[in-house]
Amino acid sequence: MTKAAGGVEVEGIVIECLRNATFKVELQNGHTVLAHISGKIRKNYIKILPYDRVLVELSPYDLTRGRIRYRYRA
Amino acid sequence: MNFVHSTSGTGNHEAVVTRVSDLQWQAVEGDRAVGRGDASRRPDGRLFLSIDAWHGAVFDRIADAMLADLPTPLYTVVDEADHDSRSAWERAGFTTARREWGYLVPTDPQGTGLGSVRPPSDLTIVPAGEAEEGPLRALDSMIRDEVEAAVGWQTMPAEVLPRPAGSTLLDPSKYAVARHCDQYVGLVRVAPLTRQPRIGLIAVRTEWHRRGIARAMLAHALGSLHRSGTASAWAEVNESNAAATALFEGIGARRVGSTLELVRRWRSATPHRATEPST
Repeated sequence: MTKAAGGVEVEGIVIECLRNATFKVELQNGHTVLAHISGKIRKNYIKILPYDRVLVELSPYDLTRGRIRYRYRA
Repeated sequence: MNFVHSTSGTGNHEAVVTRVSDLQWQAVEGDRAVGRGDASRRPDGRLFLSIDAWHGAVFDRIADAMLADLPTPLYTVVDEADHDSRSAWERAGFTTARREWGYLVPTDPQGTGLGSVRPPSDLTIVPAGEAEEGPLRALDSMIRDEVEAAVGWQTMPAEVLPRPAGSTLLDPSKYAVARHCDQYVGLVRVAPLTRQPRIGLIAVRTEWHRRGIARAMLAHALGSLHRSGTASAWAEVNESNAAATALFEGIGARRVGSTLELVRRWRSATPHRATEPST
């Protein structure tokens, strides 16, 4: 777990692609969050699929929400 | 660069937006970073924006700062299913310029019906990695000129990877081509991504249209993926490209999403909350 400029960042695995461009991500600590993808990922057409390993920035206002900031190479 | 843009509050959010570099902005509330904005130039020269914020009011404030600093036109992309992002950009004066359908493309010839498809008898398909670079670059250039003169290259699938100046073709090994005698007349580019390869481009010289060449190249590319154990590929198709839509849907490709390219073509007189110009 690292402290990013915008909040806490945690690695996780995408377990489900939901509607409204959100993803269910299981974090390393076993918790599950709902995450959007970051604008930079969207802008660069990086596709997020189930089982992708990703870096999630948790919302400082709601720890059940997050934003996928990075997708690791498979 | 470390230029403070705005310090006034936005509802309950007292975000201060600072331009921290030429193409980056940051919103800070107290001692906490609560949002960021980035701009980047596509290889075609267009400037694309992205904003990440936890609250709409902070998004608006970052957008105002970026719009005040940057020349128009400005672009962004959103998932059409992401209604919050879309409405946030619309509040900033962005409107939809075009839509790309995302297709999940099966590779199994049993599903695509492409198993028996061959190129016209006077053509051969040169597999990826075997095309000669010089003629391939020449073909790429000619096709771009033809598309630009017709519907415009901006209606083709987005190209986001940086490339050397003066070059439009990044990695020749990703291209299979259709060859007639010693001349290349069509190309297909497949990015071999591990989880789901992307068909990045498929195009044929204008004078060779309507001969089934694109279908034959697709049969070749998808057949190769199937033999290597890949079940599906991904492709984006511009909504207005009827030929490409028919090609993909005709082989059983499934529309699974859509991306909107939004544009703001004008700059408002005041940096905060855009209004339509009177015409």
